[in-house]
Amino acid sequence: MAAQPEYIIEMLHITKEFPGIVANDDITLRLRKGEIHALLGENGAGKSTLMSVLFGLYKPEAGEIRKNGEVVRIDDPNDATALGIGMVHQHFKLIDVFTVLDNIILGAESTKLGFLQRREARKKVEELSERYGLHVDLDAKVESITVGMQQRVEILKMLYRDNEILIFDEPTAVLTPQEIDELMETMRGFAREGKSILFISHKLNEIMAVSDRVTVLRKGRCVGTVDTKDTNKQALSNMMVGRPVQLEVNKSPARPGDTVLSVRDLTVPSRIHKKDAVHNVSFDVRSGEIVCVAGIDGNGQTELVYGITGLEKATAGHIDLCGHDISHASIRHRGENMSHIPEDRHKHGLILDFTLEQNLVLQRYKEPRFQRMGFIDRPNIRQYAEHLIEQYDVRSGQGPVTVVRSMSGGNQQKAIVARELDRDKALIVAVQPTRGLDVGAIEYIHSQLVAERDKGHAVLLVSLELDEVMSLSDRILVMYEGEIVGEFDPKKVTVEELGLYMAGAKRGNTGGESA
Amino acid sequence: MKNGRLSEFAGRDGTRTVLASIVSILIGLVVGAIVVLIVGLTSDNITLTGVWEGIRLIFAGIFSTGRNAAGGLSFGFNPTNVGNMLFRATPVIMTGLSVAMAFKTGLFNIGAPGQYLMGTMASLMLALGIPSDVVPAGLVWIIAFLGGILAGAVWGSIPGLLKALLNINEVIACIMTNWIAANVVTWAFDVSNFKNLAENTKASYVYRTTYNGVQTPKFGLDELFPGSQVNGGILIAIVMAILIYILMNKTTLGYELRACGSNRHAARYAGIRDKRNIVLSMAIAGGLSGAGAALYYLSGNTEFFWNTYQSLPDTGFNGIPVALLAANNPIGVVFTGIFMSMLDIAGLQLTSLTAYNEYITDVIIAVIVYLSAFSLVIKTLISGRRKKKAVEVQTAAAVEDGSSGPAGPEAADSGPPDVPDPDIPEDAQSRKGGAEA
Repeated sequence: MAAQPEYIIEMLHITKEFPGIVANDDITLRLRKGEIHALLGENGAGKSTLMSVLFGLYKPEAGEIRKNGEVVRIDDPNDATALGIGMVHQHFKLIDVFTVLDNIILGAESTKLGFLQRREARKKVEELSERYGLHVDLDAKVESITVGMQQRVEILKMLYRDNEILIFDEPTAVLTPQEIDELMETMRGFAREGKSILFISHKLNEIMAVSDRVTVLRKGRCVGTVDTKDTNKQALSNMMVGRPVQLEVNKSPARPGDTVLSVRDLTVPSRIHKKDAVHNVSFDVRSGEIVCVAGIDGNGQTELVYGITGLEKATAGHIDLCGHDISHASIRHRGENMSHIPEDRHKHGLILDFTLEQNLVLQRYKEPRFQRMGFIDRPNIRQYAEHLIEQYDVRSGQGPVTVVRSMSGGNQQKAIVARELDRDKALIVAVQPTRGLDVGAIEYIHSQLVAERDKGHAVLLVSLELDEVMSLSDRILVMYEGEIVGEFDPKKVTVEELGLYMAGAKRGNTGGESA
Repeated sequence: MKNGRLSEFAGRDGTRTVLASIVSILIGLVVGAIVVLIVGLTSDNITLTGVWEGIRLIFAGIFSTGRNAAGGLSFGFNPTNVGNMLFRATPVIMTGLSVAMAFKTGLFNIGAPGQYLMGTMASLMLALGIPSDVVPAGLVWIIAFLGGILAGAVWGSIPGLLKALLNINEVIACIMTNWIAANVVTWAFDVSNFKNLAENTKASYVYRTTYNGVQTPKFGLDELFPGSQVNGGILIAIVMAILIYILMNKTTLGYELRACGSNRHAARYAGIRDKRNIVLSMAIAGGLSGAGAALYYLSGNTEFFWNTYQSLPDTGFNGIPVALLAANNPIGVVFTGIFMSMLDIAGLQLTSLTAYNEYITDVIIAVIVYLSAFSLVIKTLISGRRKKKAVEVQTAAAVEDGSSGPAGPEAADSGPPDVPDPDIPEDAQSRKGGAEA
């Protein structure tokens, strides 16, 4: 019963089971006051489950939670809030049509006789945003502000509730390098003020940069807690995966051949606003090279891919694929020379309620080997699916007949990659192929893409992860507000330089910088 | 061993679906019995014996053979009842197929009544309009049948087109086209010269295709079920159900249609023409409803009173519970359709043999309709109990060999946390590591 216990929050021997899995198996996590404690693990390691237990969303089967040395019960998020625990979720919990201020005070409104006391609230929020340098426009609607700003709103929400234990669930996934730096600075500021931070991530750079200690989870178990200053990226990733991991992509220099894809003055309209999402974009992709389109989310990359793959009609411009004009061709026709790993695997990539084998022939069911006179040839599809599952190591409960919805995100993505790469097309369009995947799966998909390149295929990669852009690409195109604002050689450019172009602070002539 | 196979059978998804439907039906019947009880107790002219008779008829009306010499209810195989049940099942099987097939492709076809009406109009007009002394009656029947299908298909494709091209919700479009159909049919018969066709002593405005000598062949069913209205229509309906099953599950077209229904975006991504398929789905669904109307009115037993058609035919709406109870399985629809008409027959028995009226069976049908919407919930309840057991077994096994392969639900961003993540087994990493080395 010391006056100042060493740990502000202790989660002791937490066990949480779901039908068929133990998501958290006897995990102990201790958070010191005023520290930034990172929680590292692959997808499915149990990080989010553990945080959900702390936030009162799940009830653990065993274990206890202590605050300042005393056992507390957290049955729902209100209990957590009362204990000063706040959380910034990976997917923001904001109401789009409310103003920033209304979102911040929602659920903790001060009222008088049933009337909102907005003026008081505004004063408090303004003070907080001043003090921590979290600048937001309080009267803007959430739908009209940037993702980075929305995150600031979420942080202000926690501060407004006077939370002293702050949980950040994968906070950097949606931010630009500059915004990530700002966030890190903010987090350090919180720690200096005595707030305690739990920082969930699988990005080693950020963990090394900002955290004091790291707890690593693997397959629901706690692998260990280490001081950040005593470890390094390689050691952490080995702990996380359970075997030595190759962090760098191993690839030989590219040997580009003929032009496979040629895009000229392509213009694609936007579904969201009236302006063109892609404006007068021109570039080439040659066989045997990986060209990467870098940029902050929402700068036209998605629509560029839609325009090339035919999911959206281009309003102007030409696209040549393998020497044929495909500007007005149907999606199926384009698919004859192009495979596409889509950005949104649930929306476009898979039919979640179909079985794995049905998904693996999504574009190919009409090929003579999979049908006879319009009747589906189940045995052949089964055989083909088993072959792909084995070759690409796709894991699932019941093999070819597994309903895809029940598979993990990583294996769903692997199934898409298997399907698309096996189609063996001259051009591979891969959009954020490793989003949300863990180190092991990323390593695998990267090596597959490099292998495709070495086979002489052209790869057009769209990625928001600068690490991926830098390590995988042979050429980088930066997109900003629907235009390509720079072309770079990854060996001759720094991440910071790219960041400036991505944020629109600098722009050069296409091709000018790389020479 | 035997036990293992049994539990595997019980764990199958299809088994659970059937169980859920049976539970819905049983609850519906029990509620019907309770209504019979309450009505009996509160009404003066029904004795306790009468109540008991009513309850027995609710459950076994199809086997009723009237009253015996002693005045008590007698039960046994009643070919007339069974034949009539099959006859009445025919149109509702078709509308059930229509709804089920649309459901499978992600569309809610609440437009079956309108499609049914359009099918009614086309087949009646063709059957009555082509003189059978010029064209053989058999050929007229076929033309009228195909005409009914075509009219239903056209009517069904209207909401399909609106959905595909303008993204208008098919439910709203279907409801509107239902009422348009009701008025179009009324108007068309009103201006037509069929108005003055009358058979025997019947007043006009009543259409019966036998007036023109057109009726569905019996295929010997009338000898199997003497005294009933049964005809070859039920066989045609069963064949249609099998064809739809084959279409949806065995062909590339069915694959496309289901792909569009499950995830239109992914279908488009794969190069499937989603718009065409939505229209096609609705056209096929409409054609099935139209076929149901044709089979009903071409039977030769039925009359159509056009001037009462200011309302929509129940047969169309009844397709919805028939499809739901069958979990949208075309083969299942045959059984649930027959079940629904069995309730009809039970209602008739109630009316003719007791002081109750047939509307009690409408209560039962209504309860079953509600419960069929809940049958998913019931199914989850059934599987929930099983899953719990499975977890106990699994954790016990995990404790024994000390190797559980936990994969957090955070990976399963695709589903609720109670969906187990079956992958990442213990040897996951080592195998991959080995492959690399």
